[in-house]
Amino acid sequence: MAENRKGTDKPMDARRFAALADAYGSALHRWPQAEQAAATLFAESEEGRAILRRAARLDAILDRHHVEVPSRTLHGEIVAKAGVPLRQGRHRRLWWLGFGLAGVGLAGAVAGLALVTVVTPDAPSDHYVMDANATSFGDAGPDADTEDL
Amino acid sequence: MGADPDEELVRRIGAGDQAAVQAMVARKLPRVLSLATRMLGDAAEAEDVAQETFVRIWRHASGWRQGRARFDTWIHRVALNLCYDRLRRRREWTTDELPEVPDEAPLPDAVAGDEGRRVQQALQRIAPRQREAIVLVYYQEMSNIEAANAMQVSVDALESLVARGRRALQAMLVGDERDD
Repeated sequence: MAENRKGTDKPMDARRFAALADAYGSALHRWPQAEQAAATLFAESEEGRAILRRAARLDAILDRHHVEVPSRTLHGEIVAKAGVPLRQGRHRRLWWLGFGLAGVGLAGAVAGLALVTVVTPDAPSDHYVMDANATSFGDAGPDADTEDL
Repeated sequence: MGADPDEELVRRIGAGDQAAVQAMVARKLPRVLSLATRMLGDAAEAEDVAQETFVRIWRHASGWRQGRARFDTWIHRVALNLCYDRLRRRREWTTDELPEVPDEAPLPDAVAGDEGRRVQQALQRIAPRQREAIVLVYYQEMSNIEAANAMQVSVDALESLVARGRRALQAMLVGDERDD
C-alpha cells in the first residue's frame, strides 16, 4: 500500500522498524511498499514482535472509531445537485452556439448592405428624407416669405 | 504513477452521464464523509463538507485532467480545505487559538460501547495537521506518497506528523502501559 520514500529495500534494523511502527501502526500493508519485505523478515524476530504488539494496542483502539454509512437522503441530495452544474454547462454551450449563429447573421447583413450600396443607383439623400422639418408634402419649415411679417 | 482508476468515471460525468454521477457518489461519498467526520468530529458539518466537495467535483469534472495527483488525492485535498475553513471559523467564533501543544492527558476509560466516542475526542485534541496525517494514512489507507501529496508536504514530514500524532493518541488512549 504505502510506498518507500527512499525507493530501495534496505536491510531493516530495530530503529527503523520501530519508527515505521510508530508512524504506520502494526499492519504491514500500510507501511512503505519497498520496505515491506525487509520489515516482514524483521517482524519475525522477538524484538520485532514486541514492537508490533505495542503498535497493535493503539490500532485496536483506533479501529473502534466508526463513521456511519452515508444516508440515502445525503446520497440523493448530492446526486440531485449534480444536475445543476451539468445543465449549466450545457446551457453555456447553447448560449455560445446562439452567439455564433447571431454573428453569422450579422455578417450576412453587413455583406448584403455592402452589395446593395455598390449595385444600386443613388437614392435621395437621407439628410433630406430624415429632415425634422420635412413632411410628405415637402418642406414644412418656416416659410421664407413670412419671415418679414 | 499508473493510470488513474477514477479518470474514466470523471470523463463520463463531464459528458453529463447520470449513471456515472451515481457511481461516483457510491464510490467516493463514504470516503469523503469518513475523512470529514474524523477531521471535524461533527457528523452534520461533515455532511455539509461532503456536499460541498461533490459540488466542486460536478463543477470541475468536464475540465479534469490528470496532473501529478490522482483524482482521489484531489478530492481529498478539496475536502480537507473545506474542513480547514470550518476549523478556522470555529477558532474565530471561540477566539481561542488551536493549541500548539495538544493536551495529552489520558482520557477517562470508556464505558462499554462508547470507545468510538473516546477515540473521536482524542482525535480532536491533537494538532489538526497530525490528525490529518493519521486520518489519511490510517483510516483512508492512502499510501505515504499519496497522503504527502494530499497534504502538500514531503514524505519525511508526513511520517513525522503521523508518528507524533500516534504518540499523542497513545498517551491519551493507552497510557504508559509497557509490553508484557
